[in-house]
Amino acid sequence: MKYKIALAGNPNSGKTTLFNCLTGSNLYVGNWPGVTVEKKEGNLRDTNKDITLVDLPGIYSLAPYSMDEIVSRNFLLEGRPDLIINIIDASNIERNLYLSTQLMELNCPMVGALNMMDVVKKTGVKIDVREMEKIFGYPFIEISAQKETGIDELIKLVEKTLEIKKLKEFPQIFPPEIMTLFNEFDEQIQHQYPDILPDYPRLFRVIKLIEKDEEVLLKIHGNGDLLEDIDAVRKKIEALSNHDVDSAIADYRYRFITAGINTATKKTKANTIPFQEKLDKILMNRYAALPIFFLFMFVIYYVSITLVGDITIGGIEWFINDVLMVGVAAGLGSLGAADWIIALINDGIITGVGAVLTFVPQLVVLFIFISILEDSGYMARVAFIMDRIFRHFGLSGKSFIPMVVGLGCSVPGIMATRTLENERERKLTAVLTPFISCGAKMPIYVLMASVFFTEYQTLLVFSLYLVSLTVVFGSGFVLSKTWFKGADSGYLLEIPPLRLPKLKNTATQVWERIKEFIIRAGTIIFAASVVLWFLQSFTPGFQMVDSPDQSILAMFGKVIAPVFIPLGFGNWVASVALLTGIAAKEMIISTMSVLLSGQDGSFTVAISQIFTPVSAYSFVIFVLLASPCMAAIATMKKELGNWRDFFFALSYQIGLAYAVSFIVYQVGSRIFV
Amino acid sequence: MFTLKDLRPGQKACVGSIAVEGLMRRKLMDMGVTPGVEIQVNKTAPFGDPIEVRLRGYSLSLRKKDAENILMVQ
Repeated sequence: MKYKIALAGNPNSGKTTLFNCLTGSNLYVGNWPGVTVEKKEGNLRDTNKDITLVDLPGIYSLAPYSMDEIVSRNFLLEGRPDLIINIIDASNIERNLYLSTQLMELNCPMVGALNMMDVVKKTGVKIDVREMEKIFGYPFIEISAQKETGIDELIKLVEKTLEIKKLKEFPQIFPPEIMTLFNEFDEQIQHQYPDILPDYPRLFRVIKLIEKDEEVLLKIHGNGDLLEDIDAVRKKIEALSNHDVDSAIADYRYRFITAGINTATKKTKANTIPFQEKLDKILMNRYAALPIFFLFMFVIYYVSITLVGDITIGGIEWFINDVLMVGVAAGLGSLGAADWIIALINDGIITGVGAVLTFVPQLVVLFIFISILEDSGYMARVAFIMDRIFRHFGLSGKSFIPMVVGLGCSVPGIMATRTLENERERKLTAVLTPFISCGAKMPIYVLMASVFFTEYQTLLVFSLYLVSLTVVFGSGFVLSKTWFKGADSGYLLEIPPLRLPKLKNTATQVWERIKEFIIRAGTIIFAASVVLWFLQSFTPGFQMVDSPDQSILAMFGKVIAPVFIPLGFGNWVASVALLTGIAAKEMIISTMSVLLSGQDGSFTVAISQIFTPVSAYSFVIFVLLASPCMAAIATMKKELGNWRDFFFALSYQIGLAYAVSFIVYQVGSRIFV
Repeated sequence: MFTLKDLRPGQKACVGSIAVEGLMRRKLMDMGVTPGVEIQVNKTAPFGDPIEVRLRGYSLSLRKKDAENILMVQ
């Protein structure tokens, strides 16, 4: 017999850590059909049953507000799990049990995993799990996913509960008179409206109808009679409870929970965690909060980009150029391979894929830092600090995190937008993140600065970051009032306690992110490199070229070049470089160096012949703002979810880059003649 | 009548009613801001907004414009 069980719980309840504990290494990430938010599946370890565990996004309630909530709710209703593992942060038990009272309505066997019991015990709180089972009607077990205690017992409890077919009676969450109203309404639905959501669990259906839940209202297609009946029940509840329906139902749930906890838990000493609270006071201090944040950012970027980059990039480039390419040339040459095959492998594949893989060590270190920031609870604090500024530009404090990540690479930056609940803000942030200059664009600025702006190099690079920030905020302001306009779902963010991240968890997260990056290098970038090499090496008559300017690529370049004349760089070399830059931004420089190598003089001399200082500045602005690399474009498509927003985003990014470069060149070339 | 926005860091009071409709109202309820619950203001963000409050054993942050709609009683 095959079983499917769901892991459901609040955000910050340690769900991912528990999922990793329960599945061991046999983990895979899959997309749930129809939605873009990721859902994980894995096989439960140490059991002789065939049990698939589905990790659902963390949610606070079964109301359909955010993408995460809709995914979780749809799975619980339509995926028909055989059992739900309800993970509960026992150090925040009251709020966590609120979701449990809703899961209980789903008429599905459930097991409660009281997580973070190590923390709870330290604060002197004792929880009586037998008492909890009596009150809530399903078994509980104490665990610590971080310390990996209670996991084997949890697996045994899951096995045992799967064998029991009969569910216990639904506990007294609602007072008898309200329960009677629910039951009467349920019978009325069964008789008068048998076609209304027949597959839904009955109590869940009744309550969601009474609450006028948006998703449920959509499904009853404006059935006027039913709506009238709903309003009648709502009036009765309001009369009985002296509250409006929303507060009445939430209030009953919380009252039931508070009473239950008071019976089942004992507090033996005051619950404070002095060290964490002291640290929190320093990190969030009115005056120190911002300097500390910028210090963290500086250390992270200094260590991952500069320190690690200095150590690894030289070595990797040496390995690629002097070992791998030389080896391939010698090895294949001795086997009698044609020159063009060696050139394809070396100049096409190894150069293209290698340019991307060069950044892997830096990204690993960057991802380690970001994962630590996320797991420790610091990111939520940063969102709290920055919200005031970001809100003026149609964003919220939560948008800040993807942009910080985007300074390293837009791809993980765009992926980090998943943490935003509001769809409008999430999409807007995904579109704005590529405007933050990623690490791969840096070499282009440095090159142009060293050729044309020798005395003002730092100033030039600094000015580019200013342009980037201006564009992010300006676009946020405009787009949030035009294309991405809509309801502000508001800002309501839990600030989790500071926690020490678990090494194993950090490693898993970093590996998952890096794996995606490497897979992309092996697929999209591999293919693009091969195509580019062919276009660059053959004439339109399919003869190997003598000089690059006879190639198919040059022909393309010459066709496109006129478009860039108003921007000051209407030569085919720059056009082709921008074209290859779509594969990866690093390729802009390598393309220019390959294409200009046939001409007299050094690379820098050749560059100064096709650019003026003003057109060079216009060129870097275009590189900074125009659509990102293919990997980031693909990620943007995945996160935006639909072609309409995707094409808009792409045209906006390219259009804006063109407009800004146009102004820079037209104004600049008149001032500096 | 005073609101959650009027409380200074360290002060606490109980929720009387929530004077906002729609999504925000239900989200507040889901997060445990229901009539009768005791809320303490922890701190204000460095730029003066949002605020961080403590209720039901956890910390929640919200903007002042939403705090203004949460009516409190002693």
